[in-house]
Amino acid sequence: MKIEFNKTIFINLCRGRNSSKGLPQPTISFDGIYANVRMVHILTSVVGSKCEVQVKNGGVYEGVFKTYSPKCDLVLDAAHEKSTESSSGPKREEIMESVLFKCSDFVVVQFKDTDSSYARRDAFTDSALSAKVNGEHKEKDLEPWDAGELTASEELEALENDVSNGWDPNDMFRYNEENYGVVSTYDSSLSSYTVPLERDNSEEFLKREARANQLAEEIESSAQYKARVALENDDRSEEEKYTAVQRNCSDREGHGTNTRENKYIPPGQRNREVISWGSGRQSSPRMGQPGPGSMPSRATSHTSDFNPNAGSDQRVVNGGVPWPSPCPSPSSRPPSRYQSGPNSLPPRAATPTRPPSRPPSRPSRPPSHPSAHGSPAPVSTMPKRMSAEGPPRMSPKAQRHPRNHRVSAGRGSMSSGLEFVSHNPPSEAAAPPVARTSPAGGTWSSVVSGVPRLSPKTHRPRSPRQNSAGNSPSGPVLASPQAGITPAEAVSMPVPAASPTPASPASNRALTPSIEAKDSRLQDQRQNSPAGNKENIKASETSPSFSKAENKGVSPVISEHRKQIDDLKKFKNDFRLQPSSTSESMDQLLSKNREGEKSRDLMKDKTEASAKDSFIDSGSSSCTSSSSKTNSPSASPSVLSNAEHKRGPEVTSQGVQTSSPACKQEKDDREERKDTTELVCALRSLFSQSNPQPSPSMVGHQQPAPVYTQPVCFAPNMMYPVPVSPGVIPFQCVPFSPAVPNMPQQRQEQHHQSTMMHPASAAGPPIVATPPAAYSTQYVAYSPQQFPNQPLVQHVPHYQSQHPHVYSPVIQGNARMMAPPAHAQPGLVSSSAAQFGAHEQTHAMYACPKLPYNKETSPSFYFAISTGSLAQQYAHPNATLHPHPPHPQPSATPTGQQQSQHGGSHPAPSPVQHHQHQAAQALHLASPQQQSAIYHAGLAPTPPSMTPASNTQSPQSSFPAAPQTVFTIHPSHVQPAYTTPPHMAHVPQAHVQSGMVPSHPTAHAPMMLMTTQPPGGPQAALAQSALQPIPVSTTAHFPYMTHPSVQAHHQQQL
Amino acid sequence: MAAPPGEYFSVGSQVSCRTCQEQRLQGEVVAFDYQSKMLALKCPSSSGKPNHADILLINLQYVSEVEIINDRTETPPPLASLNVSKLASKARTEKEEKLSQAYAISAGVSLEGQQLFQTIHKTIKDCKWQEKNIVVMEEVVITPPYQVENCKGKEGSALSHVRKIIGRRGLKRWLSS
Repeated sequence: MKIEFNKTIFINLCRGRNSSKGLPQPTISFDGIYANVRMVHILTSVVGSKCEVQVKNGGVYEGVFKTYSPKCDLVLDAAHEKSTESSSGPKREEIMESVLFKCSDFVVVQFKDTDSSYARRDAFTDSALSAKVNGEHKEKDLEPWDAGELTASEELEALENDVSNGWDPNDMFRYNEENYGVVSTYDSSLSSYTVPLERDNSEEFLKREARANQLAEEIESSAQYKARVALENDDRSEEEKYTAVQRNCSDREGHGTNTRENKYIPPGQRNREVISWGSGRQSSPRMGQPGPGSMPSRATSHTSDFNPNAGSDQRVVNGGVPWPSPCPSPSSRPPSRYQSGPNSLPPRAATPTRPPSRPPSRPSRPPSHPSAHGSPAPVSTMPKRMSAEGPPRMSPKAQRHPRNHRVSAGRGSMSSGLEFVSHNPPSEAAAPPVARTSPAGGTWSSVVSGVPRLSPKTHRPRSPRQNSAGNSPSGPVLASPQAGITPAEAVSMPVPAASPTPASPASNRALTPSIEAKDSRLQDQRQNSPAGNKENIKASETSPSFSKAENKGVSPVISEHRKQIDDLKKFKNDFRLQPSSTSESMDQLLSKNREGEKSRDLMKDKTEASAKDSFIDSGSSSCTSSSSKTNSPSASPSVLSNAEHKRGPEVTSQGVQTSSPACKQEKDDREERKDTTELVCALRSLFSQSNPQPSPSMVGHQQPAPVYTQPVCFAPNMMYPVPVSPGVIPFQCVPFSPAVPNMPQQRQEQHHQSTMMHPASAAGPPIVATPPAAYSTQYVAYSPQQFPNQPLVQHVPHYQSQHPHVYSPVIQGNARMMAPPAHAQPGLVSSSAAQFGAHEQTHAMYACPKLPYNKETSPSFYFAISTGSLAQQYAHPNATLHPHPPHPQPSATPTGQQQSQHGGSHPAPSPVQHHQHQAAQALHLASPQQQSAIYHAGLAPTPPSMTPASNTQSPQSSFPAAPQTVFTIHPSHVQPAYTTPPHMAHVPQAHVQSGMVPSHPTAHAPMMLMTTQPPGGPQAALAQSALQPIPVSTTAHFPYMTHPSVQAHHQQQL
Repeated sequence: MAAPPGEYFSVGSQVSCRTCQEQRLQGEVVAFDYQSKMLALKCPSSSGKPNHADILLINLQYVSEVEIINDRTETPPPLASLNVSKLASKARTEKEEKLSQAYAISAGVSLEGQQLFQTIHKTIKDCKWQEKNIVVMEEVVITPPYQVENCKGKEGSALSHVRKIIGRRGLKRWLSS
């Protein structure tokens, strides 16, 4: 299983590298799952939601889904392994920054509580609404055309207005008569509406005329009249405000035309025109009355009336024509004026007199009536004149001619002649179209009338912009020349002639540009909005690819390491819990204590600091690397750190063992053991934390108890723990360095225990006991010299080289074996039994924390615990038998080196130990005991075979142990009752065996020093020699089997 | 069981799967990728919220049995556009929230405090840990041992709501004991 874990780690490392290589792929093109649009959509929509990943081995990890790769590898942020035990949330230490799950590693991924409309909520956001508006804007693409149509319809209306202006009543009358035969009943004299005035030369008439003039002048000079004129000026400002300013040149020209129109509008001027025209009419009837001579003059006047009407029509048409000409270029306007000057001289002379006659005739009659009544007459005349201002189209035409008449009346015939000359240009301009219309006839006239209608449509839309824009700046400039110079006024005349007609189209044109502006703005918005949408789309497309590319190759390795650690922890829990169920009532008390300890350990494990976690991680990585024997780059730093730690203990071990051989294999084994020792150190530190007092202090407390029985013996022993306790604390603090110091600590503790036991069992002088403990090392050196046997000499170096490792399991077992001698003398010392019980508890506490980590040695510890419990219940001979069987059996299954180590330990005591075994078995002659031994031997090798196998099989081994213990208890009780003499005889043999097992020097020391023991030694030897011929053939086979196997291992080592 | 080429899971059909770990999963097919053998299913929400759903991504390489309960051949609806920035901010928020909660647990907050935080978080999402204190809507601060009298902050609906929650929890505990 270890190999499999290593392989998976290695494969994951390779996969991590592959994932790193895959990063550029998404940038190049949509590969793998990215090509599946629907899958991409669903996975992208669940980004940021909590999810649980169930991997192949059944583990469940919970975290925040971050991104996925083209191969559907998933990345979780803030991920932790979800355990069913703890219902509370994960701790900070348990959360990993980021974890990568390969597509081949996970089985099911569950994204919890995903809101499908979350990502789609854009539809309800302002940006989404604006997008819809953009769409509406797109729909509005048709609007500018509609606006165009609207403008066209408005232009048509404008044309209608123009037509009304263009058609002269006389022309309409003629057209109707010619085409439709309809004759109008209109009478220019308006006889049906008013009474014509009879002009007389009487003084009364002249007086009335003079009075009317005076009243008019007074009204014009009044403040009200001035205020109203100012209001008209305000109207101008309003026009300026509402018109759109575009070009400076066109603006100036436009302003000039507007100002001229406004100046001619004042009603005061209209009144003067009316008066002048009235005087003209009065003179005409007088000429008619004198005689037939006057009648032909009237006829001539009628003919002249017709001509000026046509002239006025032509003027209107000409007004339309010259406007388009200046639009393309200002230079074209002057040449048109110059051309019109010489051509139009004769028709202008006739036209100015007649057109004004009609409009003034209407207002002139009403003032005659009020003059007869008195003062109220002038008041009534004013409102009527104001009403006359109502029709703006007709009024400006009338105003133009009245000004000319006023000037002629004031200045005389010469000035009037000049005025006629000034009027020539517009009339001349109108002349050519008149000629065109007359020869054309009905059909030609219709065609010609249509042409000017079309032409203003095309041209007017442009000119009104310029005119309207230029209205304000040119106003004052034009006003000043009119006031100063009469020819300047004459020059300005042609411009106002065209101004009325463009006024109405100007308003329409002003509307159209605003509409066009709006359309253009909308178009701009449309153009902008789709671009923004595209940009958003592009951003969304690019960003997911970048986010998806984020992957970390290191995380899977870490996660797998943690998985292994978690699995190990689970096995620990199972291993610890099961033994308690198998224990008996007496053992239940101990098991309860152990359970308490286990619970404490579990709490400690949960509350472990991050530093310890890192140590454990590094330890696990080093274990995997060492087991696989391949140095991976990720594990290299941990290996280096372990190597550094290993050097220290190696130096110390070399110092202790002068003749130790250095081999690579031995180093590897040492590394493995040191790793385990590191874990043991961590547990010891936890153990010390759980106990408020350190173990040395507990030993101190236990020692005072024996003081009552043998105060002299224990008093000097109490001195030893004092110097040891301060040293233990700093070693425990450091997890790695105290690997070696712990061994001597154990040795010292064991030595103390052995010294304590020896005095109790020997019951000799205490002074003699203390020196052997101090000189134990010297005896080890001297023992081979004293014994001349060659095989002992050959085995001695192995024994010394493997000394520290061999002692760790053996010494602990021996420590348990020391208890039986005490129990052997329960009758002699009752209080000592309770004391030794405490010792056993302390041993149990030491053993428990080691079990979960030392898997290879766990079976020995397990048996040690069982032997401890058994020792309390029944005789020492059974206890002596149990620990021996596991030693040789496990040596066969582990590696050759381990076998050699165990073999090295066995050959030294082999002859004595084997003889002792045979003697014990022969004496008891109990088949159940032999069977129990066989079962233990059979079970021992299976646990260390495989790591998970050992964990799983350890509970199985505990089950068969229970019935075996039951069988062994009963025969032990029966045997001592019946065979009291052999029991007494066995007591000294047991002592000798216990003395021999821990160490030869300690065993030999009492033989050499104490004279009382020699008689026991020869008795034991005699017993062994006597027992040899008695054993059964089957028992003889067992020792032979062990001997050849051990020798074979020795040969392999050599 | 890998679907043979040409035979795909149609979107909208009901499918039932059994994984190699004897876990039965059922839901509506949302997406399927033949190359990677990934099947996306939509299931009712585990929390029971009406507008929410659980999305299961199943690796068909480890599925022992696939059963099509209700096959649908209608054309799937068009996919709506996604706000990537919104999703990224959601991921960041979820991560920060989980880390803050884990920090509180490691800081030594009692189980009672953790449960109280979860209860408050169910109704008031604006709830976070400030070392060992629970801060609700930046207005209410609950200090250990998380009792009604430990609530401090600006008077308002948040404070009264939190006190009601704590009081209700205390009542439940008293009744249970």
